[in-house]
Amino acid sequence: MPPAITDIGSRVELVSLDPHFHDISIALYEQRPPATGYVIHSYSSYEGALERVEYAAEAMRILGGMISTEGDPRGLRFACGSNHLLGSKRIFIEAVKILPRSPLEQRPLAILDKKSGLTIAVASEGDGAYRVTANRGEDGGEETTDGGERRVAIAAGGLARLGQMTPLEGSANRVGFECGHSHDALVGLLLTRAMNVRAVIRELENAAARGVLAAPKGM
Amino acid sequence: MPKVSMPKVSVVDETVPAMTGRERVLAALGRLPVDRTPVCNPTSVATVELMDLVDAPFPAANRDPELMARLAATGYTELGFDTIMPVFSIIQESSALGCSIQWEQKDNWPTVRMNQPIWKTADDVHIPTDVLAHPDMRCVLDAIAILKREYGDEVAIVGKTMGPWSLGYHCFGVEPFLLMTLDDPDQTKAILDRLKKITIDFGVAQIEAGADALTLPDHATGDLVSGEYYERYLRDLHIEFAQAIPIPLILHICGRTVDRMEYIAQTGMAAFHYDSKNKPAESMEIIGDRISLVGNINNPETLFSKGPEVVREEVYGNLEAGVPLVGPECAIPLQTSIENLREIPLAVRDWHREKDQAQTEPAGSNEPSRPAN
Repeated sequence: MPPAITDIGSRVELVSLDPHFHDISIALYEQRPPATGYVIHSYSSYEGALERVEYAAEAMRILGGMISTEGDPRGLRFACGSNHLLGSKRIFIEAVKILPRSPLEQRPLAILDKKSGLTIAVASEGDGAYRVTANRGEDGGEETTDGGERRVAIAAGGLARLGQMTPLEGSANRVGFECGHSHDALVGLLLTRAMNVRAVIRELENAAARGVLAAPKGM
Repeated sequence: MPKVSMPKVSVVDETVPAMTGRERVLAALGRLPVDRTPVCNPTSVATVELMDLVDAPFPAANRDPELMARLAATGYTELGFDTIMPVFSIIQESSALGCSIQWEQKDNWPTVRMNQPIWKTADDVHIPTDVLAHPDMRCVLDAIAILKREYGDEVAIVGKTMGPWSLGYHCFGVEPFLLMTLDDPDQTKAILDRLKKITIDFGVAQIEAGADALTLPDHATGDLVSGEYYERYLRDLHIEFAQAIPIPLILHICGRTVDRMEYIAQTGMAAFHYDSKNKPAESMEIIGDRISLVGNINNPETLFSKGPEVVREEVYGNLEAGVPLVGPECAIPLQTSIENLREIPLAVRDWHREKDQAQTEPAGSNEPSRPAN
């Protein structure tokens, strides 16, 4: 008998083929209100599938700064009580990409932007607000506006788009979470993708196009 | 096998005793009274999650009859449909005819490499005498036999046999075949005529294996072919299939097809599996009670991308229009959520419950109550 299908919420993201574990599918399910948070689940009954899912949950906790749902090692939520849907989907996708048993660590709040040679850094201002800056120097410690405004704006725009953050009034380089709480781990994770949102969208579109049976196309 | 004559009515009748899924589907295909509208998938409802659930992944589930049957059965056991349809893909016949097949991985459909056509003219068409013994054909027949044995009393087992127009795309390439329909109609007709044997033979073999009904995809799709083309090349062929294959046939054509529904209604097929590009009401108006309609729940935008509320709206839209069988418009995307698929039978049951309640409650009782001034 196969494991029963139970109501574990609404599926919000799916990885059809886990390259690290027998090509099983793994999905992220959003809990139904009044519950908040998510459950990672796979219908596979392969030996080790549960451990695989639990590793993905652990990766989401560390990469995204999420916390465990009480009593369920596959359950996750943000301490602020918000679901941050887009951000959670991105954390999930990145978490499943990581080779199981690899050491896990939170991403830094600064990255080297190869295009400009600048270090793009994000700093929390409290109450869920973040300020993006471009920095020169080997350690990225010297803030500059020389040629960096455009890259900063791209990074801030990317964070807003990928993390459902809101551009803050009066500045092109400040964005914030509506929940009013800081999410440094999530911002660090998103920053790696924020400089090239197009690539993220392309990745999602390619994934969505697979598995769709199209009628024959003509000339 | 004698052909069952089809009466001219299709109704949900509350006096009809509870039916099995099989009885319900066959009655609706015959436009006989049913206890409720059946949920029918003339094409695949396999998903990657269902593959994991029963450990029957693509591509193996397209080539191994045990896996094919196990995965197909989830349409009934897990989703609650009234049918089981094991022929997920459209490549079996073409594989047996010698086309090159890209089998793909678990998360994608096997496809015919139509850019590597195997034939150029009608004289090239050759159907091997042992074509039904080809492993990919055998797989379907064996899977149907397994399903018939395990579920045959409960649900309708629906097979699939590809029409000659679709096989023309596969064996000649889409572009060369379509150009031929313009440049050399006689040769096109000769090709269709030669290919029809495999459609009939495979269909009859599936009946012998236990199929209750057959989907007959023939991709004269709305985007590629006009209604006039359908009438010219395919209507008479489809009449021939309806006469030669002695169980209900469900014709499947994708796309906007209202311009050929009149001709389709003349074929004697039991049903037309229609696309969401056609509105239920306008389609019912054309088809009337001559054949049944099935399908219409949108795949890429609704079942794949939206939530159960939107699925429910589309199911209700079909039921309100009087569509006799409800289901997805085509083979569903493999990443479709189980929740959305399960919503289809749930919505059908709820719609009937609501209708029953509305009929039994006194007139005016549905009006919203007003707050006292």
